[in-house]
Amino acid sequence: MRRAWRLQLSLLWLILVVTLAILAPFVAGEDPYRPAAAPLLSIQQHPPLGTDHLGRDLWARLAFGARWSLMASALATLVTLITGTALALLSTAGGRILDHFILGASNAALAIPGLLFAMLLVAAMGPSYLTIILAVGFGAVPGFIRLSRVLFSQILEQHFVEAARALGAGPIRIAIVHLLPNAAGQLLSLATTHFAWAFMGATTLSFLGFSGDPSIPEWGAMLDAGRGYLAEAPRLSILPGLLISLTILAVHRWGEHLANRTTQG
Amino acid sequence: MRHRNLVALPSTLILAALLLAACRPAPLPEKRLVYGLTLSPSGIDPHLNASAELGIPLTSVYDTLVVQDAGTGQFLPGLAERWEISPDGRRYTFFLREDVHFHDGTLFDAEAVRANIEYTLDPENHSQKAAGMLGPLVDVRVDGPYQVSLLLSEPFAPLLDSLSQVYLGMASPQALEEWGPAQYQFHQVGTGPYRFIEYVPNDHITLRRFEEYAWAPPIYENDQAAIEEITFVFFEDPSTRPLALETHQADILGEVAPRDAARLASTDAFNLHQVDIPGQPQQFFFNVNREPTNDLRVRQALTQAVDREKIVGTVFGGYAPVARGPLSAAHFGGMLPRAELEHRPDLAAQLLDEAGWRVDPADGLRKRDGQAMRLQLVAPTWGANPDVAQLIKADWESLGAEVEIQVMPGFGPLKEAQASGAYHAIGLNFFGTDADLLRSFFHSEGFFNWSGYADSSLDRMLVDASQTTLDPQARAELYTQAMDLIMDQALILPVRDYSNLVVSDSRVQGLRFTLQGWFPLLIDLDLSS
Amino acid sequence: MLEGLLTAWAAVSLTFFSLRLAAGDPVASLLSQGLATPEQAESLRHSLGLDAPLLLQYFRYLGRLIQGNLGVSLYTQRPVSEVILEQLPNTAQLAMQGLLLAILLGLILGLASAWLRNAAGRLASNLAGLSTSLPVAFLGILILWGCRNLYLWGQTTAISPNLLAPLVLGIASAGPIARVIHSGLEDSIQSPYFLAARARGIRRGPRLLWHALRPALPAAVSLLALEAAFLFSGTVVTETVFSRPGLGRLLVSAILQGDFPVAEGLVILAALLYTASHVLSDLIAMILDPRLRRAG
Repeated sequence: MRRAWRLQLSLLWLILVVTLAILAPFVAGEDPYRPAAAPLLSIQQHPPLGTDHLGRDLWARLAFGARWSLMASALATLVTLITGTALALLSTAGGRILDHFILGASNAALAIPGLLFAMLLVAAMGPSYLTIILAVGFGAVPGFIRLSRVLFSQILEQHFVEAARALGAGPIRIAIVHLLPNAAGQLLSLATTHFAWAFMGATTLSFLGFSGDPSIPEWGAMLDAGRGYLAEAPRLSILPGLLISLTILAVHRWGEHLANRTTQG
Repeated sequence: MRHRNLVALPSTLILAALLLAACRPAPLPEKRLVYGLTLSPSGIDPHLNASAELGIPLTSVYDTLVVQDAGTGQFLPGLAERWEISPDGRRYTFFLREDVHFHDGTLFDAEAVRANIEYTLDPENHSQKAAGMLGPLVDVRVDGPYQVSLLLSEPFAPLLDSLSQVYLGMASPQALEEWGPAQYQFHQVGTGPYRFIEYVPNDHITLRRFEEYAWAPPIYENDQAAIEEITFVFFEDPSTRPLALETHQADILGEVAPRDAARLASTDAFNLHQVDIPGQPQQFFFNVNREPTNDLRVRQALTQAVDREKIVGTVFGGYAPVARGPLSAAHFGGMLPRAELEHRPDLAAQLLDEAGWRVDPADGLRKRDGQAMRLQLVAPTWGANPDVAQLIKADWESLGAEVEIQVMPGFGPLKEAQASGAYHAIGLNFFGTDADLLRSFFHSEGFFNWSGYADSSLDRMLVDASQTTLDPQARAELYTQAMDLIMDQALILPVRDYSNLVVSDSRVQGLRFTLQGWFPLLIDLDLSS
Repeated sequence: MLEGLLTAWAAVSLTFFSLRLAAGDPVASLLSQGLATPEQAESLRHSLGLDAPLLLQYFRYLGRLIQGNLGVSLYTQRPVSEVILEQLPNTAQLAMQGLLLAILLGLILGLASAWLRNAAGRLASNLAGLSTSLPVAFLGILILWGCRNLYLWGQTTAISPNLLAPLVLGIASAGPIARVIHSGLEDSIQSPYFLAARARGIRRGPRLLWHALRPALPAAVSLLALEAAFLFSGTVVTETVFSRPGLGRLLVSAILQGDFPVAEGLVILAALLYTASHVLSDLIAMILDPRLRRAG
């Protein structure tokens, strides 16, 4: 019961962020790309949050930034979910040889730390917003395969699947009709935890400069751009950093909660 | 009991050591300086690499045949005591000093000059800048132990300017031979007031005073260096530069951001030197071979839509003047075209309408035949280009275009983007003190002709200006004509003239730069106590 | 051990193929930079073996790799191994210091959160959770800003600038260690072994703590292998934030500049080190926990 308020706060925060992302054009007030006033104006001089180093309204950039950051992480998580689930299903239901091959390949990929694997993909594809989505998405696939495969194997062991097999059901049918629906809950909680990693990964890759167009108001990129102005306008870095951290915290909280709920069930 | 013995022995030893240290005569304090560099070049051999950054330490490691007075622009004796130019302008004979030797003890003579030029021109060595600076040089003749002639196939007015720069500094042939083009950059040997000690890439370069230096050219105020050791440390991240100065990790640092420079200079602890850098301004080349920038009206519209005063105010804090043409006003002011570039977004919109690009009221985008105007703006990472590009993008989007910016982190990727043709505007500029700089950018076969513009009359003007006459007046007139044409055709969007903001600790005295602006005369530096 | 080698080999192959297939012709970039004429490009292509079928290139690459030859940087034309070795000491120092700090902090936080039943314990567990959720970049910037203000106000270098980077790295990496220690401690506190120790009369204090801690250690040690992974990514960001030279910065600039040989070499190095740390931590865990020895 003591923990409940923290959980509720996290949910509230996430709802706020998602709402901000959806309603950004209406809430922002200014264009995030065009200079609205003189650069580096303080909060008092240009409410609500002052201007950045090029004179653009900071609040507008943060609002639109919610879109860019959330979208990148959500799409990346989708990539991980779809690719990872498909490969894990293939691995469990598809026979021994396929299983060894997929497992072997994903173990090999796991030998490369996640962020570095994503950076490798950026190296191959060249820096851009799309590259970050794909890199973060595919970068998490090996880990996802490992975890979801365990899940599927457990379900495979259960009796009703044996029965289905005895009745002549082929691997595809088993996969779609039996494995997926029964694993759905836990897959979702897995996806939520991965979303936190994807969010951290996407913002970190933008921070390192791999997002291509510097005018895009993505929170990680803004964290980087504000670094040169810590002396006179620390809010340029601190605000996006705070937003990123709070979002990751909230998603982590919810991911853990979901994981606890589904393992008990 | 046991505890006391454990403490007694070590403390006696420590005390003894301290006493010994105190009794040794204290060494005379050596004058040392840390100079901050802002770019880590891919290589630092001046004969082979093109970076201006390498010239900051290396200008004082080498001497050149001639030197140029920063005030008058006149060429004065360096390693050459005097020289003669043949009437047809194709033979330069240099009479060299006979009292010069390299840091490794070998003698400097005419053979050394030949060895250097051959090393520079050897196609296997892939000289990125120095070879081009020699122009139509075809032969080097050693006429005597201290007399050497450079033979050209055609007159080449910029030759003396080239020979006055570090890229054609004289290196020890023995060292060149011993180390070869790959390793020489780590073991450089010249005749200059400082010896090259070591280079650790991405980390530091160390120089020490050359005690036997006795042939200082007239542009140096001192005959001998006052600072014994200078270490060059890299600070590539702009945000670390002011902190480096404040924490005394560096005594001198260039390319300081305008805001930081203003803040530091307002204290007594630091001095600000604003040094004009002659050459091309920060600019973007329009791709004249790609739609829609192949249309002159579109190029003119895109140029007039940009509020360059605002860019200069926002990004450079007023420390840089708005550019007036393809060359900087500080050094080339006399030959710049007189017509001013204006900020006229209304005219720009009109021009686009005339060119057939009209605003679609549904989404506010400019379209022609149903196609939206999509522009690719490619910018390098240096010189605040990304920030400038973002403001240009905002101005172009007000016109109704859709703009995508791509930032290229090195010259390699920049050149690759250009080679692929995937740009409507691309940023690049070089520095230099001779207007012949324009040739490789605007001649139809120039290596850096990134606008893709080909016009034989422009070609002729650029070639004639450096290869038919040595008269400065005649050359200036030709260059003015050429630049009028360049601006009429809207081949470039010039943004601002460069000035380097150098901040030095107030203890630093005598900080002076060559005409090129980037390169400090280390021999004249001193530290007050 | 064999599994480790297999994994390492597989990682190397994965890196090789994904870069080659997705990236394209490295010589073309030299060509477009004007560093080579078309004829030179052809001969360079031949001498680098790029005109051979991909599989043959792969085996040659493996052969060179075993000999320690990682190819030549496209940007500086220097051997990749030379470039990497130059920067290795910087990053190794940063990583070592960061790891030590992480272990220290992780131990303290983990112990505090499991052992102390008061507000301090709860604070410790919250801090541990925070450490995993806070992006390294933001943490670094916060500390940079905080210390800079402290420095300028106080005119003292209370914390040397060189210690800031390992500090950030340590704080960011402490979370998982704290968590493992926490859960390991909780488990062992419930165990009969611990109950027996208390029954023997060992009072709450350092000795009892050691009894509780010992069974939890093997799990913590094997976590260190995973920490190595975290450290790699952490050094990349930390070196960027604090502008320290090192392998992390090298990787970022190699990727931005399209210098594939260097990027490839670094990722392979990371993979090899990661695999090695796995093997090492398995060994240490076996030494520490006799139960594992019997099973293994």
